[in-house]
Amino acid sequence: MKWIIACLFSSAVAAAQTPVRGRVMDGEGQPVPGANVMVKGTYDGASTGVDGVFQFVTYETGPQTLLVSSMGYASVEKPIDLQGAALVLDFSLRESINELESVVISAGAFTASDQNRRTVFKALDIATTAGATADIAGALNTLPGTQKVGESGRLFVRGGDGHETRTFIDGMVVLDAYGPAAPNTPSRGRFLPFMFKGTSFSTGGYSAEYGQALSSALALDSKDEDPTTRTDIGLLSVGADVAHTQAWKNGSWAGKAQYTNLRPYMNLINQEIDWIAPPVSTELSTAFRQKVGTRGLFKFYGNADRNQFSLYQTPVGDDATKEALELTNVYRYGNATYAHAFGDRWFWRAGVSYNLNENHVDRAAAGLRERETGVHVKSVIEQTVSDRVEWKAGVELIHRQYSARWQAGQSGVRVQGFTEPLWAAFAEADVYASKRFVMRAGVRSEYQALNQTLGVDPRASLAYKVGEGQMSLAYGRFRQSAANHWLRSDSRLASEKAEHVILNYQVIKNNRTFRAEAYYKNYVDLVKFQSATAQLPNAFMPFAQPLLNTGHGFAKGFELFWRDNQSVENVDYWISYSYLDTQRDYLNFPAAAPPSFASAHNFSVVYKHFVPAIKSQLGLTYSFASGRPYHNPNFAGFQNARTPSYQDLSANISYLPNPRIIIHFSCTNLLGRDNIFGYQFSPEAGADGHYASRAIRQAAPRFVFLGVFITLSKAKGINQLPSL
Amino acid sequence: MKTLFVTFLLFVALVAQAHDKKFEEAMAKQIQHVYTAEKTEALQAATHALDRIAQAEKSRWEPLYYAAFGYVMMANREPEAAKKDGYLDQAMERIRKAAEASPNNSEITALEGFAHMIRVTVDPATRGQQYSALSMQAYGKAIQQDPGNPRALALMAQMQYGMAQFFKSSTAEACTMAQKALALFEGAKSESPLTPAWGRGMTEGLLAQCQ
Repeated sequence: MKWIIACLFSSAVAAAQTPVRGRVMDGEGQPVPGANVMVKGTYDGASTGVDGVFQFVTYETGPQTLLVSSMGYASVEKPIDLQGAALVLDFSLRESINELESVVISAGAFTASDQNRRTVFKALDIATTAGATADIAGALNTLPGTQKVGESGRLFVRGGDGHETRTFIDGMVVLDAYGPAAPNTPSRGRFLPFMFKGTSFSTGGYSAEYGQALSSALALDSKDEDPTTRTDIGLLSVGADVAHTQAWKNGSWAGKAQYTNLRPYMNLINQEIDWIAPPVSTELSTAFRQKVGTRGLFKFYGNADRNQFSLYQTPVGDDATKEALELTNVYRYGNATYAHAFGDRWFWRAGVSYNLNENHVDRAAAGLRERETGVHVKSVIEQTVSDRVEWKAGVELIHRQYSARWQAGQSGVRVQGFTEPLWAAFAEADVYASKRFVMRAGVRSEYQALNQTLGVDPRASLAYKVGEGQMSLAYGRFRQSAANHWLRSDSRLASEKAEHVILNYQVIKNNRTFRAEAYYKNYVDLVKFQSATAQLPNAFMPFAQPLLNTGHGFAKGFELFWRDNQSVENVDYWISYSYLDTQRDYLNFPAAAPPSFASAHNFSVVYKHFVPAIKSQLGLTYSFASGRPYHNPNFAGFQNARTPSYQDLSANISYLPNPRIIIHFSCTNLLGRDNIFGYQFSPEAGADGHYASRAIRQAAPRFVFLGVFITLSKAKGINQLPSL
Repeated sequence: MKTLFVTFLLFVALVAQAHDKKFEEAMAKQIQHVYTAEKTEALQAATHALDRIAQAEKSRWEPLYYAAFGYVMMANREPEAAKKDGYLDQAMERIRKAAEASPNNSEITALEGFAHMIRVTVDPATRGQQYSALSMQAYGKAIQQDPGNPRALALMAQMQYGMAQFFKSSTAEACTMAQKALALFEGAKSESPLTPAWGRGMTEGLLAQCQ
């Protein structure tokens, strides 16, 4: 009986009320409206008003905890003792660092993602950029920092050669990211944009996680599990593809087969190239995703393709000779990654990737068999110490084997090659001093077992919010093994190195973006021929000249970018301008000079207009690149001439007659401009002392593409637009 | 001693009942506010109150559900994209927790679809594909979990109507679905004051457009 009374008594006490009031302010003494103030574990509490003031009455008694939470701030708890006497409590909330409002490091980085909402460039943008023909590199070529090199199709960044841009898939190295192409015709990326949920294109100053990239890192993030079972069919003017995605509760499997045959197209439209058999390729790719428990995700991606073509080549200055060239390329790529979260703060990811690239090239009696395999193993641990501090550290091994085997008539077989184990470790921390100021510091160390060198490269960046915009500064040192065709002839060659300094200003407001960036880049240890008179090698002969690491160079410039998705309804456009001043003294250069892939001015405008009345998106892209330097042996001096400027106006249209079908038509170079990328000269002067020349042109004035994409799925409203 | 024990049990039962009553009363009041709040501050106050109930009643899905609903409504009213996303993130967090407390709940799944649908409006050109698919999928799942859930059907009708308008195709299917949803609304009996009851006005509005 006694304790029933006690119970009744205590409930009587509970009926006593305590008024609680106070004010919630932020770190700068400004009121925080809309904060939720509560007695923990009870219903009692109130929201703060515009003046940050809250006030409520509670019937709870004794020691309790008052909890204050508000979006954008870290929650605060305070012990209180409720005795009936009015309590007055003031709180000061510390802003939490979140992706929506905080400063981000933007120097050198263009991120395209559907997840992160503060990006300049979205995954879909890649697919719908006219002139890009759904090629990742093609679309990124409309961004500042890139130089148009029409006969290559690769990404040339800030005075860097095409191979200085490294592609990563889910953090794993891709050794040969471009498919084969006929000499002086653009190659396409091997990976289709539809596979990726995010693209991060860095034109310099990138994270310590990325190694073996001298100029640029293109990090592609593959999609997580796909939630919808669907079948996609594509009928293209140059082939067909079929893809199927099977989804289950915590995973999905996707497979795609693509067949491309340019033969009918090339027969229809006259080509500059004298094809024997235009390119035919088959590509199979598969992606498997499985959640492991609630915290783990396993991903596998595999790609196998085979490309083949043959053509006639005519040596410059000898129009009577026709040499048949035949190429077969076999490519395999596999990549498995696993990511696991431990608690809220620790995150572990690991992966392994395998690359195989084989080229069989035959010309006349000479043949070259090139084979490269690479295995990349990596493990990274990340910790979020608080909302202000996070760090990551990792180790990796990139093991490459390369061999080239020449067969020249009766003269026998010659082989060059190397095996390169490359060990690396990196660590990097992001520290937010406030919402307005963030610093990233990292270091990457690589041990190149081939020439037994240990390198340590520091990287650092910081960003500071200035008014509506932000300033970023980045510095980093980067290294990359010498290109295979040099390393194979001298495996003692050291890595080539570059230093980047980048200053960036960026404002993103109301679907409009403005960016301005200036940079300076310094190259050292570039491969250089010892003999000033050595000739650039012929692919069908092993190179036997001594090589040194004495080359050097610089690149500097500034870039502007403007994007507006707001001012005109259904219109999205962006404008990029890049200025580049670069010189290098490398390979066979007699002195420092601008390389042939560098154009001083690059300008592009991308325009996209959705017209609801015809259910279509129209796209236009205009690109301009000023003339590129080349060496004309008929005149004195080195790199003594300039090509005419490059100009291209491309258009595309995507028509969506219903949610399941997309009809896509695109055409490059509407105006039919005869773009000249450079000149080839005969190796020997003719009898008149004149070197014969030939312009390197586009294979055809235009490329016309028509595709019909059909999606079959039980879920309504799904089509292939994201993958186009 | 026996009497004492019975008295004790009775007391415990009374306390428990009083507690349930307190929960239901507090919930009913805030649910009413969330449904009817005109000013954003009032909507936020009610949503916060539901959040407080949720943190006190960890095993119940209803406070999480209605708090999430409140955040979806706030997102719906918010013109600024970043804040809209912020509210929807809050909503999704509560929807996840609610689904843990009450698995296979058609109402929660339908609300998830609703949150995805609002997400589309932030940036239809780039979000449309991903989030309209997620949204339709959630509605489909919600209907599967409970074919009698009028909200799942009504929201799906809304989404289909929007898409049909976009593609200039027939809205007949969407309108028939809205009609079915309205019939379900009419037949729905409120089991308790905590049973979700919103969405009828929206359906009637859609049907008016269908005319």
